[in-house]
Amino acid sequence: MIDEFQEELASLYVLGLLEGEDLADFEQSLARDPALARLVHELRESTAQLALTASDAAPSPELRARLLGQVDTATRWRAQNVIPFRTPVWIPWAAAACLATTCAWLGQLYLGSRFETATLRDQQALAEFQLQSARNQIEAERLIAGHQLSSMTEQLASLDRQLKSEGDLANFKIATLASLAGNSPQALAVAVWNPAKQEGVLTVEKLPALAADKDYQLWLVDPQYAIPVDGGVFRVNPSTGDARVTFKANRPINSVAKFAVSLERKGGVPKAEGPMVLLSQ
Amino acid sequence: MSTLTSCYPADFAVVPAWGNVLARMKPAEHTAEAAAAAERAHFDAELLRRMGRSDREAFAQLYDRFSRPLFATALRILHDTAEAEDIVQDVFLALWEKATAYEVGRGSAFAWAVTLTRNRAIDRVRMRKRRSELLAETTAEDAGTQPSESGPDSSDGLVLKEQAGAVRAAVASLPADQQRAVELAFFSGLTQLEIAQKLSEPLGTVKARIRRGLLRLRDTLGGRQ
Repeated sequence: MIDEFQEELASLYVLGLLEGEDLADFEQSLARDPALARLVHELRESTAQLALTASDAAPSPELRARLLGQVDTATRWRAQNVIPFRTPVWIPWAAAACLATTCAWLGQLYLGSRFETATLRDQQALAEFQLQSARNQIEAERLIAGHQLSSMTEQLASLDRQLKSEGDLANFKIATLASLAGNSPQALAVAVWNPAKQEGVLTVEKLPALAADKDYQLWLVDPQYAIPVDGGVFRVNPSTGDARVTFKANRPINSVAKFAVSLERKGGVPKAEGPMVLLSQ
Repeated sequence: MSTLTSCYPADFAVVPAWGNVLARMKPAEHTAEAAAAAERAHFDAELLRRMGRSDREAFAQLYDRFSRPLFATALRILHDTAEAEDIVQDVFLALWEKATAYEVGRGSAFAWAVTLTRNRAIDRVRMRKRRSELLAETTAEDAGTQPSESGPDSSDGLVLKEQAGAVRAAVASLPADQQRAVELAFFSGLTQLEIAQKLSEPLGTVKARIRRGLLRLRDTLGGRQ
């Protein structure tokens, strides 16, 4: 059903009086609505009749002749520029050959791509295997490195201990003791004192053999004490006069100024009483 | 104004076939006229088809049938004989070039030719920027039908005279306000607003007069198309 508004738009449309959005909207409606299109057609046909009312004026005869001349020229130009075209017989065969070639090429391409895909898959599996091997090797090397590190740490600790020991050695007190008695001019002794351990070693040679009720007694002279500190008693080999004893002081020693060996009664004495046999320099 | 031609509909929009138009006619009153009109339209369409095949004779015949009303329309719009002839020349060359694109279902050949002529003439008017001048020139005499001049003696000319007389009678039968509005809308090249200003009437009133006038012409001329 067409209302008056649409009739009005259709009337303006056929007269070319619609503009802008009104024109666009109406043409959209026109495309959708067959009844509206029919109305426009009817109005256009009847409106065109108005041209008959304009006047009876006629164009000049020259216009007709001019137009026919232009038409003749256009017709000749068309005739000269029309190139007859006949489909060559070989074209279908060529097309078929092209199609076959294309199919073969595409098939080859497909097979090639499948082979390439399989190869790539194998390469991927190999790469994964190599990756896993590398991981295992790295893990093994990590364990070995851990062991080596542990071993090195121990070696380092040992070296550290050795260095410490050597450091202690520097603090050792080493002294030679010479004979003071006329009966044993060849007697000789060496005493080594380790202040860290508070112990020492005494080596003697060619001391006279002792009577059964006698002992040699070692003394350490420390300036902090008024009298020498008892280092213990020892006996020598009766035939050679040699001995090697490890000794300890009966009091804490800060520094040893001298070592001395005296001849005392059996078992030793708290304070030196007998003759001094050996004395360090 | 955005462009010179944007305000016009396409030269020929898609519309139903002739049969739909003929179906609207009053059978008792217009049977003979409708048959004659359909025969004329069919003949014109056949001429266009032949022109599409580069038939020079068909072109000459169509020129003899259409050139007078097309020229008169262009002259009425442009008020200049030389320019009107230019327009007619353009239109016939366009018909010659576009003849292969013509479809009967899209309307009569005559309506197509008139639409081409009006659009080109109005474009020319606006190109000349003579709007204000035209407003002054569009006198009361212009708005009425022109007195007939001597026509050709051919059968086409006689038929044309008969058609023109019938259309003038139909236009004259319209109420004066509708007649004035329709003729200004068709021949002046003015916009809706300019027509309203020219008639010193509200825009809505002018639109309504155009609508009623065109519908009445359709009903009256239905058998003549």
